[in-house]
Formats: sequence, structure tokens, C-alpha cells
Amino acid sequence: MSVKASAGASGLREQDFSACTNTRTQMSDPLIVLESLTKTFGKTVAVDKISMSMRKGEIFGFLGANGAGKTTTIRMMCGLARPTSGRGSIAGLDIWKERLRIRSKFGYVPQKFSLYTDLTVLENLRFFGGAYRLPADQLRRRVDRTLQEMDLGSRKDFRAGSLSGGYKQLLSIGCALIHEPDLLFLDEPTTGLDPVHRQQIWDMLYEFSQRGTTIFVTTHYMDEAERCSDVGFIHEGRLIAKGSPRMLKQSLREQLLEVHVEPAMPAMVELRKIPGVYGVDLRSGRLRLHARDPHALLKSWNDHWPFVGLQWHGYAWVEPDMEDVFKAYSQGYYLEDQAKRGVR
Amino acid sequence: MNFLASWNAILTIAYKEFVHVWRDRRVLLMLIFVPPFFTFVFGHAFEVTSIRDLPAMLYDADHSPDSEQFVEKLKAKDTFVWKQWQGDPNGQIDLLRAGVQAAIVIPKDWGKGLHDGDPRPLRVVLDGTDSNTAPAIQGALQQVLADYQMITRDNVIENLPEEVVDLGRNLPKDIRAQFGSIITPWELKSEILYNPKLMFIDFVVPGIVGLILQLLTVTLIASTITREREVGTLSQLLVTPLRQFEIVIGKVLPYLLISLLLIGSTLAVGYFHFGVKFHKPVMLSVVCFLFLLCSLGLGLLISAFATTQTQAIQFSVFLLLPMMLLSGAFQPLALLPGVVQAFSELFPLTHFCRAFRHVNMYKADFAVIRGDLIALAVGAVVTCVAAGLLLQTNED
Repeated sequence: MSVKASAGASGLREQDFSACTNTRTQMSDPLIVLESLTKTFGKTVAVDKISMSMRKGEIFGFLGANGAGKTTTIRMMCGLARPTSGRGSIAGLDIWKERLRIRSKFGYVPQKFSLYTDLTVLENLRFFGGAYRLPADQLRRRVDRTLQEMDLGSRKDFRAGSLSGGYKQLLSIGCALIHEPDLLFLDEPTTGLDPVHRQQIWDMLYEFSQRGTTIFVTTHYMDEAERCSDVGFIHEGRLIAKGSPRMLKQSLREQLLEVHVEPAMPAMVELRKIPGVYGVDLRSGRLRLHARDPHALLKSWNDHWPFVGLQWHGYAWVEPDMEDVFKAYSQGYYLEDQAKRGVR
Repeated sequence: MNFLASWNAILTIAYKEFVHVWRDRRVLLMLIFVPPFFTFVFGHAFEVTSIRDLPAMLYDADHSPDSEQFVEKLKAKDTFVWKQWQGDPNGQIDLLRAGVQAAIVIPKDWGKGLHDGDPRPLRVVLDGTDSNTAPAIQGALQQVLADYQMITRDNVIENLPEEVVDLGRNLPKDIRAQFGSIITPWELKSEILYNPKLMFIDFVVPGIVGLILQLLTVTLIASTITREREVGTLSQLLVTPLRQFEIVIGKVLPYLLISLLLIGSTLAVGYFHFGVKFHKPVMLSVVCFLFLLCSLGLGLLISAFATTQTQAIQFSVFLLLPMMLLSGAFQPLALLPGVVQAFSELFPLTHFCRAFRHVNMYKADFAVIRGDLIALAVGAVVTCVAAGLLLQTNED
């Protein structure tokens, strides 16, 4: 599992991830600033007062369960949906009022394949190059370069609709990057792809980021979250945590216990009922228990094992990984914890 | 806004739109073959304005030389196809069961009555479900009867006894003249202007053009924006620096080209097959062009308004139906009640048909059609601008 993007100085900033409302970070040059960005559809609050900032060159991973509000946030940032309240800016330009001026500054790869399936690879690239008003000579150069970078050279005359999922996604990214923007939004770019293409796409994103492109990406895959320089968790429209993967994992330390109880399935149900237990999940035969104070639990169990039908076989402390972090945040366990600590 | 950059952007969209149509072979074939075929079929469908070959039955209760002569005259006409008589000639007649639209009964002693100074009416039973046919049959029968009466009259005059002729000669001149006048059929000397051969096809050509354009191009263009909205490509378009007007113009252009070809093929069938003459080609082109812009704008507006392609097609059909029926495309607008006529002024097809006919049939000049042209131009601008403003994705 790669951690290269999360290494280094990035782990040391914005440590107070629970105080994510503090957007005016002291860091230089925020590329994206969101302030209480909110979107409601009727009575449904899709995005609830999201505030955050993002610096140039970051790979920002936007994590959250389906329906948490990731796509709506991206669409607002792209000027495709009007914020109900709050505001946001990209490179100092308002994401709604100045959306026409921002458009040439970013690329957007939507969740669903959204190119013209009856046009060929080449025609799609040329079309978007034209739409971004590239001059003819530059267009030709960019199209050639993209075909090569995206490994699409041999498929340039295929209809976009006939490409396999991986190549479709590469083409989408190619089209979004045809005008060489400094910022790229990707909405679940690897969902449904095979591991080889996932790897290929992330290697590519890393390369773009090395070249200075800022990347805002949503994902469900936790190995991908590890590759981000920063991740944010969105739950029911609210940004509940933001920080480097390493830092987020550290925040779960001393809260994760792997217990070996048989039989596992009824044990999971029973353990979840205990107050102070945020979650219990089955992972490779063992139960991963996330609790406010596992020490206290162990102590009480040492005195008295309360479950008659369940056999205790022991426990181990485990290092949290992003999977644990994702589950913890996306299932809202942390809300309770934050409420107790007086956040929000 | 750099004009050249804008123009390039418009061409980019137009090219893409054109490729969509070009690649969709079924639609392409439809566009190529349907218009001339429609023109051919509709042209022939509407060219026959007199009724022919109506199923009818006849009962001759008289069997006199007169009745037989009359029947002979009647059967010489191609108005009717004669079926076997069914039912009671003096009682109820079931037209439906007999499979006819008219039943004619020549009563007993009809011929005798003609000679005895007591001409008796023929009994005629007609099917009135279709309100046009019954009066037409009545007219046709009346015509045959009148013709037969004239023949009888001529016979009578021919065979007048000498003394009657002498009597006539001795009548005062003015009475003789008046008598002569009333036994001569009075006639019209009509002069038909604008469409002297009364070719209905000449009248109906703009209707056919409008029908085809509205059926094909409007429904085609009506799904362009909604398709992009459904598939998600609209979001991709809207994150590019493309302006709304560029998208709208870019989308209209290829369909404009296609529509021009459709008009061309339709008019060509009208000209070569039906012998319709076209006058003032420049003015006709202006009329067609504005109508196209207006129709395409309307389609685009539907497209921008609808959220799904299904909806777009439904909207088009609901709009097209009243347009076809109330725009005067296939019948004179003057036949409609005043309120409906006022309503029909909203349809581009109404203005197009009127302007087209004014130019092509009346050979009218610009002043006559100015109002219709302005209406079409305003319609084109309003629909296109509205479509541009409605260009957005589903969620917002």
C-alpha cells in the first residue's frame, strides 16, 4: 500500500482536523476556499456548510459514503450547481458568480462516463479541445500528447462507446486535461475498474500532481485514500474531518481492538450493543472493535465475560488503516465523539 | 468576446452534432427517404378532391323506360360502385349491413309521373357519419337528375306537335324571349385566378413541407439537448468555456442544413412529379429559411425544457398535433372559427403556409407577407434565446 503522497511535511499541518471550520489557514496560496458552502434540494440538505481550503499541488481525497454529498460538492465547485448559501472560490474567483471565467482553469471528470459514445476517441479529444478554444496547432499537439499519455494511440479511431471501462476513464481524464488546467476534479474515477487500470490511473494522477496539477478526487477505495496528501470525510453533507491520512489514522489509535470471539457473527451483534462501542466489523475472521475506551472494556471483560454463548479467545491491538478511518467517519461514529468533546 | 474564437466554437459544436446524425444510420436513411416518399404519398392523397367509387345500391321499382335510362346515366358515372340491393325499399334501410354509403330507390310509377305532370322525388338514403360525403353524393345525384331532365326536355321540344310550334311563333316577342330564356340553363362564366387548374397540390405543398419538417427535424432537434442532459454530456459541455449562444447556434446549424436539404427534396418532388410551379424563388427561400429557424428554435426550446428524451418527444407530438390540424396546412384557415384562427397565429406553420401561398400562388410582393416574416423571425429569436437560457443540467 503506497503512502508516498502522505509522507513528509503535509502530515504536520492542519492538525486540528476536528476544527475544520477554520478555513482561513495560515498556509500560503490556497487554491480552493470553501466557506459554509451549502446546497439543499427541497428539504434535503445535500451539502451542509462545508468550509475548507486546499493548496496548490495537493492531491485531495474526498471520502464519504454514497449519497454523502461528494458529487454535489464537486458540481458546485465546477459551477454546475448553484450553492444555496455560502460561497467558494477557485484561484480567487467565485465558483458561481465568476463560473464562466473559472471554466478554463479546471478539468472535470464526472462519475458517470460522459463523453460522446458515437464519436471516436480522436473526435472526442478534438471536440473538447475545440470547446476549450485551443488554437489549431496547440490542439493538434495536445491531442497527440494526450493520446500518448493516456495509452490511447492505438485506439484513436475506436468509438468512445466501444472502449472498455478503463480506457473510457482514461479518455475522460484526457478530455478533461486537454486544455492543461492547473486543477482537476475527478468524481470516483476508479469505481468499477480493474486493479491494473486503477493503478495506472493513480500513477498518472501522481505524475500530474508532481507536475503541479492540483487534484481533487473522490473515492471509495481506501488504498487510494492513502495516496492522497490530504483527505476529507463528508458525512450527511457535513465535512467531519480533514487531514493527512497518517494523521487521521493516528486519531483512531488506542481505539481499535481486534478481538477473537467465537462464533463471530452473533458476537458482532452482541458487541455492537455495548455503550461506548462505535462499531464492530468482521475482518478476516476476527472482529475489529472500535470503541471510545477499549482499555476499560478489556478491564471489565477481564473481571467478568458477560456473554454466555460466546467464547473469548483473546485480543490484539491493531494499527488503524484507512479502512477503519473510513468506516469510523462514514458511519458517523465520530459524531458522537465530537459532540462529547464539544465540537460543533 | 473574440468573434473568431466564438465562430470556431460554434463550428466545433456543429460538426459534432452533424456527426451524431451522420453516424445514426437509421435516422439518416429516414431523413433521406421519408421526405420524398411523404411528399409523393401526401401529394396523391390530397390531389383527388372529387368523390369516386363510393359503394351504393339502387332499387328500381319502376322499370319504365325513363327509370332505365336514368339508371343508365347514373351507372355511367364513376361516383359509385354498385352493390347488390339489400332491405326493404319502402321501409328501414340498413346502410351499414349492406356495406354502402348511399341507397337510391326509384319509386313505382316514377317514369309515369314525369309524363303526367306529377314528378315524384327519388328516395335517397345517405350515410352522414362523415359530414362531407353525404352532401357530395346529394350533389352528384342532383347533377345526374338535372342532366337527365335536360335530355328529357330536349326530347320534348324536339317532338313538339306542329300546332304548338305555330302557337309559339304567334306569341308576343317578349314572352317568347322570356320563355326561351327560362328553358335555357343559366350558367356561370367563371374565371379562376391564382390556381386556374384548381390543383390542390399547389395549395398543399407548403403544408407538406411543414409537416415533414416538423415531424422529422423538430423531433430530431428536440432530443439533442435532452439527450446530452440524460447521458451526462451536458455537464461536460457546461464546464467548458462554451457560451450558451454558441451551443445553441452550433446545434441549430447542422439541422438547418439538413432541413434545407429536406425542403429541397420535397419541393423537387412537387416540381418534377406533380408539376407544381414555383415563383419568386428568392422570396420563397427567405420564407422557408425563416420558417426553418423558427421551427428549429421551437424544437430546441422543447429540448431545453424537457428533462428526458421521452418527454421531449411527447412535448413535440402534443405541439405538432394542433399545429398540423389548425395551421391551415391542409385546409383553408378561413374555414376555422375566428377564435381558433387567432390561436393558430401562434404556430410558425400558419405563417409559413400563408406566406408561401401568397408568394407562390398570388405572386404577392414583400409588403403582403411582411407580417408573417416578422412573426417567424420573432419566433426564431425568442425560442433560441429561451433555449439558451434554459440550458442547464437536471439538478439545478
